[in-house]
Amino acid sequence: MPETFVIVGASLAGGSAAATLRQEGFEGRVVLIGAEPQPPYERPPLSKEYLRGESPFENALVQPSDFYRDNGIETRFGVRATRVDATEKAVELDGGERVAYDGLLIATGGRNRRPPIPGLDLEGVYQLRTVADCDRIREEISPGRTAVVVGMGFIGSEVAASLRQSGVEVAVVDRNKVPLRRILGEEVGRVMEGIHRDYDTELIFEDTVAAFDGVGRVERITTHRGRRIECDFAVVGLGVEPVSDLLAGTGVEVDNGIVVDEYCRTGVEGIYAAGDVANHYHPIFGRHIRIEHWQNALRQGPAAARSMLSKGEPYEEIPWFWSDQYEHNLQYAGFHTEWDEFLVRGSMEERNFVAFYRKDGRVLAAVAVNRGRDLRRSVSLIRAQRPVDASGLCDLSVDLRTLVDAAGAPR
Amino acid sequence: MAEFVIVAGAEDLKVGEMRAFEVRGAKIAVANVADTFYAFDDTCTHLQCSLAEGDLEEATVICPCHGSEFDVRNGAVLQGPAREPVETYEARIEGGSLEVKR
Repeated sequence: MPETFVIVGASLAGGSAAATLRQEGFEGRVVLIGAEPQPPYERPPLSKEYLRGESPFENALVQPSDFYRDNGIETRFGVRATRVDATEKAVELDGGERVAYDGLLIATGGRNRRPPIPGLDLEGVYQLRTVADCDRIREEISPGRTAVVVGMGFIGSEVAASLRQSGVEVAVVDRNKVPLRRILGEEVGRVMEGIHRDYDTELIFEDTVAAFDGVGRVERITTHRGRRIECDFAVVGLGVEPVSDLLAGTGVEVDNGIVVDEYCRTGVEGIYAAGDVANHYHPIFGRHIRIEHWQNALRQGPAAARSMLSKGEPYEEIPWFWSDQYEHNLQYAGFHTEWDEFLVRGSMEERNFVAFYRKDGRVLAAVAVNRGRDLRRSVSLIRAQRPVDASGLCDLSVDLRTLVDAAGAPR
Repeated sequence: MAEFVIVAGAEDLKVGEMRAFEVRGAKIAVANVADTFYAFDDTCTHLQCSLAEGDLEEATVICPCHGSEFDVRNGAVLQGPAREPVETYEARIEGGSLEVKR
């Protein structure tokens, strides 16, 4: 009997993994299961060029839509996997089908957090995760309409920018002092705040939404500090939680996502995880991390597929992502939760800089605004995990790549 | 009709360097790969960033904004998010000048 590999999550991670299985010569059965009706697609355009109507959906597809049939990949799109039976090695689907597996990859990603705010279910209050969510928001967009964006993380910030660029009047509400404060810190948050201020977005910080109000449909929001803001619609972006319910009872450890090792393996034989849902051990950072970004989905799905074929290598990609807001390009590389030194190369005032989060002299992560070349050159510094000279980091005449050589590490 | 246009001196672009030039109304980047010159559209096919502002690693140009990678010799996409190749052009050294055909 040929082996069967089942992938749950027809996502960037899942779709890329299916393609990798075939590229690596796997000739058994591959079944790709996804809750959404579309073939796997990339989500970054949903808060940017697709939301603004500048780029068709086809441009977001991970593979052309006939790729799966052409490569003998069975698909179940629009069908939710409800339960994994690890004893019988089978996945149960909505509608009753059971698909037996020899190897199982979970790439179910995340779902948006839905905090218990009164009126969250009113018509006109949207979240953004899927292309269907995005299409609903697109129908609300027209110049002169008013919107409230709740939460100024990456999704909220990008949606706020795209709405303004589409002529919508926008107010944002966030509990922090500045956008993106939790991950990037206050200094970088101030820069991003300035960008949103330039485009006449009403910025309400250190406040939270108490309720969405309206008769049958949202008409305004009220905040805990007593602000009332009229709006035609609202978009809520308050973070994501990993989707791992289907593994209940399997013995797979779940702690901030599905816990896997550097080969994307769970503790249960034959079950793997990749993408947003995977809390993976990262050999360079020496800890488990969970990454909700494009590059991780793109690279970790294939890494898991190779592990399933016993061709795996430790997955130790340096996390990296971008966020485009208006004409500005922000990029981040590395992983940090705390730092004892924040060093800036370039000018925050001119919105052209890369900043380094350091701990004990090591660069844990870097963030750049409109300085992508330096950000890319910082990746090998982060990978090296060795103390580097602070003055060189901040000196624009020093090529960052030479600092890696000076630290005695490979580029 | 495409014709060769002088964009710089023969010595202006060192090995491993690239720069964008205006060539008959188009922004075209030229890369010096081991003293062979390759010309290609400076505008990334993904979201229109200037490729010359990125990095050149041997014959690979890396977009500074979103990390797409192209082979400067034929314009092929080596790494997404870009999906479409960049247009390439002939480049040559002629009479002490760097020329691009467009």
